[in-house]
Amino acid sequence: MPNHSIPFRTIQEVHSAFESQKLSPVELTQEYLAAAKKSQLGAYLTLCDDLALQQARAAESLIQKFGRVPREEYPLLGIPMGIKDNLVMDGVRTTCASKMLENYVAPYTATCVSRLEKAGAVTLGKLNLDEFAMGGSNENSAFGPVRHPTHPDRVPGGSSGGSAASVKADLCFASLGSDTGGSIRLPASYCGVVGLKPTYGRISRLGLVAFASSLDQVGPFAKTVEDAALLMDVMSGHDPQDSTSIPQGRLNSFATTRTAPSWSQLRVGVPKEYFVGGLAPAVERSIQNSLNWFQKQGAELVPISLPHTQYAVSVYYVVAVSEASSNLARYDGIRFGMRPAGSEQAKDLNDFYRKSRSLFGPEVKRRIILGTFALSSGYSEAYFHRACQVRRKIVGDFTEAFTKVDLIIGPVAPTTAFKLGEKSSDPLTMYLNDIFTIPANLAGLPALSVPCGADEEGLPIGLHLMAAPFQEDRLISAAHAFQNGFELGKV
Amino acid sequence: MVDVNESLTRQVAALARLELSENEIQTFSHQLSQIIQYVEKLQEVDVSAVEPLSHPIEIPTFLRADVAHVSPTAGDGKPKVLQSAPEVLYDGFKVPPIL
Repeated sequence: MPNHSIPFRTIQEVHSAFESQKLSPVELTQEYLAAAKKSQLGAYLTLCDDLALQQARAAESLIQKFGRVPREEYPLLGIPMGIKDNLVMDGVRTTCASKMLENYVAPYTATCVSRLEKAGAVTLGKLNLDEFAMGGSNENSAFGPVRHPTHPDRVPGGSSGGSAASVKADLCFASLGSDTGGSIRLPASYCGVVGLKPTYGRISRLGLVAFASSLDQVGPFAKTVEDAALLMDVMSGHDPQDSTSIPQGRLNSFATTRTAPSWSQLRVGVPKEYFVGGLAPAVERSIQNSLNWFQKQGAELVPISLPHTQYAVSVYYVVAVSEASSNLARYDGIRFGMRPAGSEQAKDLNDFYRKSRSLFGPEVKRRIILGTFALSSGYSEAYFHRACQVRRKIVGDFTEAFTKVDLIIGPVAPTTAFKLGEKSSDPLTMYLNDIFTIPANLAGLPALSVPCGADEEGLPIGLHLMAAPFQEDRLISAAHAFQNGFELGKV
Repeated sequence: MVDVNESLTRQVAALARLELSENEIQTFSHQLSQIIQYVEKLQEVDVSAVEPLSHPIEIPTFLRADVAHVSPTAGDGKPKVLQSAPEVLYDGFKVPPIL
């Protein structure tokens, strides 16, 4: 462990240490807070020392009272977590890594975070991201980039860069991120941790600051698939305060990690469109080795086709920016946000809006303009409407594929983590990096990234698993077996 | 194919209530033109008789009970909704005289 001496891999191991009194929740929380303060990665935007220590003390008294960790009611008791700074917490600053919300203090707590707190988790602080979750490298934060946890000249991936880097660098035990076009899976792949994007609607979006409402989903980062499963169990379940929350009850995914998958009944789809060149050789070898491992366990590898894959990035960058331009219209400087100098002298209301909205960073402005264009009179038919039609074709590809296979496996990204500044001047190149992650958001599928290798420089590579809507258990069970059985090494 | 020139960028920025510098207008026009050229490939897909899809998981809309809740208040007894207001006057949002 790089910063301190926490030898634990899973939440279960931490709980055993609590019970054998090798460690107390307060000590653990203090260690993480100290490490977070010392760190140069730029992963945290706000630390909640007082709140975290108060939660840790409460966990400590529960353990004393019961003489053990009451796991049934408090499955996350005393576990220090980081929260992406686009999820609100009552009384805590939520910035979305934007100057626009630099001093914004939320009046309530996101449902997913309050469920973690109710399960006993300790919330250490708020994690850095691309401004309003728009980006794939975490270079778009108004408060400085996050650095890659093991290769500081590289990006950690984005937009949940702080969430991935902090888990890898032991600045929190697990974390929350959000995924609109790959913002959980890409940084998980680049940083070598597990990141899961649930089925759309599985986790409440109440308290997630909206970017693109038909694509956004909250999900967990952890070192292991089993911990990610436990977090899913805690956060899932219908929330009447989110009208897109699915009516299903809580998941019981952790339990599925306790039994081996029935390999002979598992059909793994390998889409030909995901292997058409452009993959870095180390990435291609790692994915191939992983596929061979699944076959060796007895799974059947089935070649499939997702013929509309080539249109996914186009659909995404019309739909996502259109929804964003609408969602971000609320930042007008009237009820919250900052009023920059000069806005008091505005000559009319529109001038006031323009002055207030000058606080957005360049990527956010670019997307608002693109989205406003795609929705504007005379262009919306050719762009927004058509993108929504092609979106249905992409969903159709998956519906068809999932009649033949149970899982789809491929790469998360074409390469490993790139260098800071390498792609930031060319938005289109940056957008094309999302080609393998975007389709799951367009179709609302659950998908995850699990480490499957490293390149010559030791940069991690993630394996991408996707399942049909609501099939998180299938995803988790296969990924857990893979993480415990596959020999990780350089290829 | 749309010609994304500086005048179109200005027009769209005005609709979006964004103030752009001359420099930004130039950079954005160039970048938007590239992006729009790329998404132009959507035009080659046969979408005849395809209904647009705007929501990935089709579920019925759940309506909440129409019950009023009192706005939560902070420690000082003021409504929390005002705690991040740029300016407050009594129990309301204060705005500059711009109308």
